Amino acid sequence: MEYDLFFFGELFIHTFSYWWVIIPAIFLGLVVGAMPGFSAANTIIILLPLTLAMKPEVGLTFMVALYASSRMGAGIPAILFNIPGTAGAAATPLDGYPMTKQGRGQQALAMSFVASISGGLFTTLLALVALPWLSQVAYYLHSVEMIVIMFFGISLIATIAAKDTLKGLIAGFFGLMIGFIGSDAVYETPRGTFGFLELYDKIPLIPALVGLFAISEAFAFIEKQHIALEDDQGAVPRTGWTQTLEGVRIAASKWWLITWTSLIGLVIGVVPGAGASIASFVAYQQSKTFSKTPELFGTGHVEGLIAPESANNGVTSGTLVPLLIIGIPGGATAAIMLVVLQYHGVTVGPDLFMNNPELAFGPFAAMAVTYTLMILTALPLARYMSKITVVSTIYLAPIIISFTLVGSFVPRGYLFDMNLALVFGVIGFIARKTGYHVAAILIGVILGPLLEMYFLRAMKMSQGDVMVIFSSTIGNTLWVFLAISLAIPYIMEYRRKKRNSILESND
Amino acid sequence: MAEDTGNKNLERKSIGSELIIPVAALLFTIYYFYTIIDAPWTAQVAAFIVGSILIVLIMLFLAKCIRSIILGEGTLNFDTIINPKSFLIKRLGLLVLTIAYTFVVSSLGFTITTFIFLFMAMLLLSDGHKKRFIFSLSLLLSLGGYLLFIVAFKTRFPAGPFETLMKGLF
Repeated sequence: MEYDLFFFGELFIHTFSYWWVIIPAIFLGLVVGAMPGFSAANTIIILLPLTLAMKPEVGLTFMVALYASSRMGAGIPAILFNIPGTAGAAATPLDGYPMTKQGRGQQALAMSFVASISGGLFTTLLALVALPWLSQVAYYLHSVEMIVIMFFGISLIATIAAKDTLKGLIAGFFGLMIGFIGSDAVYETPRGTFGFLELYDKIPLIPALVGLFAISEAFAFIEKQHIALEDDQGAVPRTGWTQTLEGVRIAASKWWLITWTSLIGLVIGVVPGAGASIASFVAYQQSKTFSKTPELFGTGHVEGLIAPESANNGVTSGTLVPLLIIGIPGGATAAIMLVVLQYHGVTVGPDLFMNNPELAFGPFAAMAVTYTLMILTALPLARYMSKITVVSTIYLAPIIISFTLVGSFVPRGYLFDMNLALVFGVIGFIARKTGYHVAAILIGVILGPLLEMYFLRAMKMSQGDVMVIFSSTIGNTLWVFLAISLAIPYIMEYRRKKRNSILESND
Repeated sequence: MAEDTGNKNLERKSIGSELIIPVAALLFTIYYFYTIIDAPWTAQVAAFIVGSILIVLIMLFLAKCIRSIILGEGTLNFDTIINPKSFLIKRLGLLVLTIAYTFVVSSLGFTITTFIFLFMAMLLLSDGHKKRFIFSLSLLLSLGGYLLFIVAFKTRFPAGPFETLMKGLF
């Protein structure tokens, strides 16, 4: 079947007619994305009776809109409180939160929204065009290549914690060891569980996220009256629409950064299981590497906020590619979409594009329409959302602690997870106070189980030969890229110092 | 003179605080190795590689710390964690209340426990001021949370007497 501009045009106009489903889903997605423990996947599961009762294309449109907006919503608490709504937004507070502390919360939100919307829209349209080629990416990445990708993720830790690389690496590898807790995937042997049955199924991510970011931050910011920058009288300066408009202008001027970092997200999103957390950290590291002002990263730098936000929204469209083409969901939400489609008797795969192209391309059209409608619905909210940072920490700290702590209970329903969040909170607080980056620990916890799984597979295939990790051409190419990526910051730093010393000697 | 010594102490790095994370990581890694000692090689390899790298990194950091103590750039105190001392009591109080929250919530449920926690924690942080406002705010937030999460979103939150009583209504 030939797909021409007329076909796609008609599809978009038809999808716009579902605005009555998309707009409520956008607001719902923003709310659930902003609450740690309430992922889009959980919400879709709760609303499953509703989506199953809808026609497949309406249900799918609703789920896609909720998914896309929740990805953007996760950045809101990350910027305002240093608490990522999901692991995918874990790189967002690195520069987003310092901006809030400088009194630029509204501007940061506006920039994050523009980056998310533009990145998401661009990659969705690109995915639509490049669907057949993108689907091939997943075929070339096996366990050996994935090990290198995981190490790529870990290497970012050193760059993220640029003030003290050694501390960054210790935090990251400590996180990896924590991520190894639980039964191993092949032999089911419990390891490092301290005898707790609740840890046999690996470290749950939400309590780790809640503890490391929310609890520790709440304990840290009680030292201040407000989160936002205060004047001499302890008051927060008032702002109108100026910051939103300025945020939009700055983000628009960084269109090239949005383009290429969202492409990183799209490619990583195509790989099943890789996810938004890896994509956002890769984008952050890469934008820092190629930035003209890498020393400003971590201090409230615009590029450090835009890169992870456009990348994690690029992942959103990427995860739909393997789902629709080969029937492998790229993440939890995509897996639920697959269940809903199967319930309606829809079989995904190449046949879907031949027999029911409206349904096959529909999710991408729904995503594009969602991002377009978000310009009108979500962007104006930045001004009002940022007001929350002027609320006194006397009230904010207890609210954050109680609601996020109980949020860590939600995914598994274990009271144990609340205690686990508290333990992570203590670790996070000490880490914050002593200069160990909590994001480095978190990325370790996220990558630990994945790294171990790919290691186990590779070991099984090679009958225990560790050298298998250097046995693939793609893998070896990735190792070279990894080495280059680790070396570039040092080379650039050396060149900068050399240039400065020449300038000083000339003076 | 005394001021100079004080300033010098302030400038010195608080090595004791900085060692908490590496020491915890080292102890955990040793414990983890102990738990996989009898596991098959394929199940050990990832942890042994990562754990060994971690131990090397910690040793490097320890050497760095010892060097800075010898050079007088750091001291073995815990000031970074404890400071500012004016907030120590509040922070410890908040920690005690948070620990109590995780234990009490299983019997009293989300709504009642959250109300008590919010009220007591806000009172602690505000030095006992604005009691009426804090009481109303805590009540509003805990009831609002109940309506939003348990009633509207049907979220699985810890249930207690209040949730059981209200089950008949919603």
